Amino acid sequence: MTAARRLGAEIGPYLFGFLTLFLAWHVAAQHIVQSILFPPPLLVLEKGVQLTASGVLPQHIGASLGRILVGFACGSALGLPIGLVIGSFRLARQILEPWTEFLRFIPSVAMITIAVIWFGIGEQSKIFLIIYTTIFTVILNTAAGVSSIAPNKLRAAQALGAGRWQIFALVALPATVPFILTGMRLAMANSFTTIVAAELISANEGLGVMLWNGRMFMLIDEIFLSLVCLGLLGFATDRLFRWGIYRFAGRYAPVT
Amino acid sequence: MNLLSLRDVEKRFTPRRGADYVAVRDFNLEIAEGEFFCLLGPSGCGKTTILNLLAGFEQPSSGSIALEGRLIEGPHRDRGVVFQGDDSLFAWLSAVENIEFGLRVNGVSARERRRRAMAFLELVGLHGQAAKHPPELSGGMKQRIQIARALANEPKMLLMDEPFGALDAQTRSHMQQELVRIWQATRKSIVFITHDIDEAVTLGTRIGVMTAGPGGRLKGVIAVDLDGERDRTDPRYLAYYKQVHAMIRDEVAKANLREAS
Repeated sequence: MTAARRLGAEIGPYLFGFLTLFLAWHVAAQHIVQSILFPPPLLVLEKGVQLTASGVLPQHIGASLGRILVGFACGSALGLPIGLVIGSFRLARQILEPWTEFLRFIPSVAMITIAVIWFGIGEQSKIFLIIYTTIFTVILNTAAGVSSIAPNKLRAAQALGAGRWQIFALVALPATVPFILTGMRLAMANSFTTIVAAELISANEGLGVMLWNGRMFMLIDEIFLSLVCLGLLGFATDRLFRWGIYRFAGRYAPVT
Repeated sequence: MNLLSLRDVEKRFTPRRGADYVAVRDFNLEIAEGEFFCLLGPSGCGKTTILNLLAGFEQPSSGSIALEGRLIEGPHRDRGVVFQGDDSLFAWLSAVENIEFGLRVNGVSARERRRRAMAFLELVGLHGQAAKHPPELSGGMKQRIQIARALANEPKMLLMDEPFGALDAQTRSHMQQELVRIWQATRKSIVFITHDIDEAVTLGTRIGVMTAGPGGRLKGVIAVDLDGERDRTDPRYLAYYKQVHAMIRDEVAKANLREAS
């Protein structure tokens, strides 16, 4: 099979799946519901083209994505070492677990009000919320990964003459990578929920703002456009993440 | 002086509740340079405890274990360990990188360790599999990597904990032949833990039989005077088999009785 055909066989069913989704939407909107409150996909697409040309849509998308990426990167960078420490040392786990176990049950959406009071309605409050939503997922998965390393791996390394630090860097850390990446993937998905909620309440731009304005001014097609963008962006970032894992960390976690 | 000596070794574990559990007691054994010593015993007799003590993963509660006259105080590169399961391999490293690991942590240059690792890859018969990762290899191949990884580090001896226990019968039999070949090529002293009489008679130059646990001891040691590849239909092989079997039969019965109650 040629490369092009293999790619086609891989992507073909996917494209077909998307096509059925939009087809079902089209049929439902045009022939079943037939209401101005449920615009068909072509109308939403038209709106999308129009808002892209005027630069409004890219601005909203850019604002939401930018917040997610900064918050996600910071949250992961903070969560990873904390998770490693919790997973490695019993005492650290005993001390830090009350923190993580208490805070992770307060939904990031519930933190919106306090975030706005503390950090204002600007970028800081959104980034704070994304960090908040990311950090616990990354901590928990990383710690679970460290504590699930097969004891024989550590013993083998000891018997081969590895010191404490070498065992950490050359065995514990790489053995934990699949868990860390899984945690980050979950955190990325949660970030989308949080950013929309935060932007609904206080922001000047972003996909959440688009949703809110749509409701205020009865711009149904803009609401739908925002929803479609969220779905596609979430899908695209997740695929990108998976591709990244496959491409750069495949030896740690063969992705299926 | 013997290579390895165990004197009055006892290991007890203190559980969170209940009385102390004595895994092994009164354990005395001397192993000479170049021996292939098989430690045979029924399940739960404490043979894995002995291996963990020899490897230095655990410390004896009393008594002493010494390698070349020096007390064993913890894991050290002078004792290479081959585990039963494949979970001791580093799945993110290729076969040759796994074999290099010991040399890498001991500061051998990249070029030199690759050269040595390739030689040991060759020795264990994994030519052409250098770039494969453990999940891509069969059970037998993974155990070959473990053996090469331990040997490449140039230990004074090898400790093997039922390394072929998880393999199918054909692969196990083949791996036994391969291990004998490797042992003959390197003349490295081996302590080999097993519960399989056939395996012990096929491999060992001496066989130590343990009593049933708890508190397992060495019941007796049989020197196996068979050279070269051992033939299971050879009357001398059968005689050794019967001798070992007679020694261990009662212990297995005791172990079963204990497990049933």
